[in-house]
Amino acid sequence: MTSLSKVALVAGASLMLLGSPAFAQDKTFNIWWYEGADSAQGITWTKALEELKANHPDVTVNFEQKTFDQLQQSGSMILNSAEAPDVLEYNKGNATAGLVASQGLLTNLDDAYTAEGWDKVLNEGQLVLSRYNELGIYGSGPIWGISTYGEYVSAFYNIDAFEKAGVKVPATLEELTAAFDTFKAQGVTPLALGGASTSGQHLLASLAYTKADDTWVQNYQGLKAPLDGAPYLFAAQTLTDWLAKGYITKDSTGMNDDDASLQFTSGKSPMYVSGTWNLGNFSANIKDFKWGQFVIPTPKYSVGSTGNLWIIPKGSKNPELAKEFISLLLSTKYQTEQANNGGVSFAADPAGVTNPVGANASAVFAQIAAKQGLGFYPDWPVPGYYDVLNQKDTGLLQGTLSPEQFVDEIKTVYDDAQASQ
Amino acid sequence: MAVDSVARHRRGYYLYLIPGFLGLILIVIGPQIANFVLSFTAWKGVGTPRWVGAQNYQRLLTDDQFWGSMHNTLFYMLSMTVIPVLIGLVLASLLFDYVRDQFSERLSSFFRAAFYLPQILPLTVAGVLWGWILNPVGVANAILKMVGLGALAQNWIGDATYALAAVSLVIVWVQVGYCLVVFMAGLSRIDPALYEAAQLDGAGWWQRLVAITVPMLAPEIFVVALTTLIAALKVFAPVFVLTQGGPDDATLAPSYLTYFHFFTTQRVGYAAAVSTVQMILTLGLAVIFLVFQQRQAERGV
Repeated sequence: MTSLSKVALVAGASLMLLGSPAFAQDKTFNIWWYEGADSAQGITWTKALEELKANHPDVTVNFEQKTFDQLQQSGSMILNSAEAPDVLEYNKGNATAGLVASQGLLTNLDDAYTAEGWDKVLNEGQLVLSRYNELGIYGSGPIWGISTYGEYVSAFYNIDAFEKAGVKVPATLEELTAAFDTFKAQGVTPLALGGASTSGQHLLASLAYTKADDTWVQNYQGLKAPLDGAPYLFAAQTLTDWLAKGYITKDSTGMNDDDASLQFTSGKSPMYVSGTWNLGNFSANIKDFKWGQFVIPTPKYSVGSTGNLWIIPKGSKNPELAKEFISLLLSTKYQTEQANNGGVSFAADPAGVTNPVGANASAVFAQIAAKQGLGFYPDWPVPGYYDVLNQKDTGLLQGTLSPEQFVDEIKTVYDDAQASQ
Repeated sequence: MAVDSVARHRRGYYLYLIPGFLGLILIVIGPQIANFVLSFTAWKGVGTPRWVGAQNYQRLLTDDQFWGSMHNTLFYMLSMTVIPVLIGLVLASLLFDYVRDQFSERLSSFFRAAFYLPQILPLTVAGVLWGWILNPVGVANAILKMVGLGALAQNWIGDATYALAAVSLVIVWVQVGYCLVVFMAGLSRIDPALYEAAQLDGAGWWQRLVAITVPMLAPEIFVVALTTLIAALKVFAPVFVLTQGGPDDATLAPSYLTYFHFFTTQRVGYAAAVSTVQMILTLGLAVIFLVFQQRQAERGV
């Protein structure tokens, strides 16, 4: 290399350094979520993030995939530090979003709600879990987070097995037990259950909600009064009855949701009660039979809620970009995209949805939401209740707790939290 | 003069202790004190802790979950310490004394490595595998049914009757390797002449184990017993990955209770109280062991 070309090279390199948009590149947008990469949400959000990137070529987008447990366990400490991202998915509920909102760690979204036009997509019913008061209790107060999808618990059923056994989709609890009887008579355990895991307590709550009215659900979820155990007693008695009749097996105490859902996907059990978060897995992995969902027959309330929240931490350096991202997720384009990925959307364009799973799930959710029937999850009112319900549920299923003892034990923990709030 | 300069030299050495001591304060002593102070407060993990005096400790006295977990700890001491030490002793002397002599050094090393493998395997991975083995439709029951012993099939981790034993089994599986490796290292220290003399006098394998191996290995047995007993008081991972303390708290351990209150009920102060009690027990145990060991040493064993 001649010395002249060396000079030229150095000069050229310096020019490039000067000319590069080094300062604009400093703008980094940090975003976290924990929905799986192959879930309806994960796929949709990734695409929306691509669009955000394309709209802002000057911004470096830095996405980190988290896990539910990471944020469930140390989320409040992360949000209380300088490490918090610009926008993130966060678990809704008093013990999580409510706690960090009441501690002043989040950006108030009241103004953005109308300014960004989110009020044209969401209704007040879909905002219940976005609002937290100064004590961190949901239902009233400012808007601290926005959900862009729904979820609910229903019975997944094996359509082929139902047709073969001549069973029709149950519309009442009696028809459900009649269906159980038909399968049981054929030597099949009708209902797969993860007794040590989420599906155990969701079945229990679904049964409790058959005896629950507005007052009960509002008191229960709002920690407004000591626990009225009657609906849970009915649920516990029904479960022990089902156990005695062999509709579910005692073995379920040793199974988690993965084990139980495998009983359903492998065709061994024709029914499995769990949430819409299974839709992606079932769509991808059930090849041998047709399957569908029916809602557990209750007068009004189903176990379900709007999805996790998008929250903007107080220290977010790019709140405007964060709001723009939320707006993208609420747009008809990405709501429709989400339904087409098998997700539960609020505002998909029905004409644009070609995936029957997503179309059906979105329609069922709309029905439940329309009658204000989202009863939420049983573990919400009390921090740590998730584990308490799992432990006591397994006690009930293995027979060491009677239905009365079961109600006593969960009531003690509930009333303790209720009295000391 | 000479004494003086030695002392001055020594003083110079203290400088080198500073970094280690700072580390000790920063990551051991500091957090312990913080934990102790927190145990007298009510705190949600964020915000300001509120002083509540001894309330957490009062609650502890009447907490069935806490006492249940302490009761389970006795079982975990069996499965962390007593059983692995016994199995480890027998296996170590078998491998050292018999397999190595009758077969080959290689075969003995192979077994040693194989028994140690569970120690290397991440417990989270091992836990998932054991979950597949022990769940009601898992490998263990499938094998029992295959060989016609279906009547023995149980809901191993989902039935309170068996769950503690099932978790204990997994712990023994993990712990044996640790005991074995330490004991085999200890055995190589013992003068082979002792064994030869005993053999010439007609002592059998069992007699040599009891009369030579165990007394000569006393220091190793002490160390292993102490470290594993402390581990038993802190057992967490196997419980977490296998049963989450269930069914109905049948396998709950104090560390899991601490974790539960710290991360899910947000009773951080109460969790701190549980772990303070745990720490006092651990320290007490360590002191008893060290004193005992010193006495043994002074008696000139």
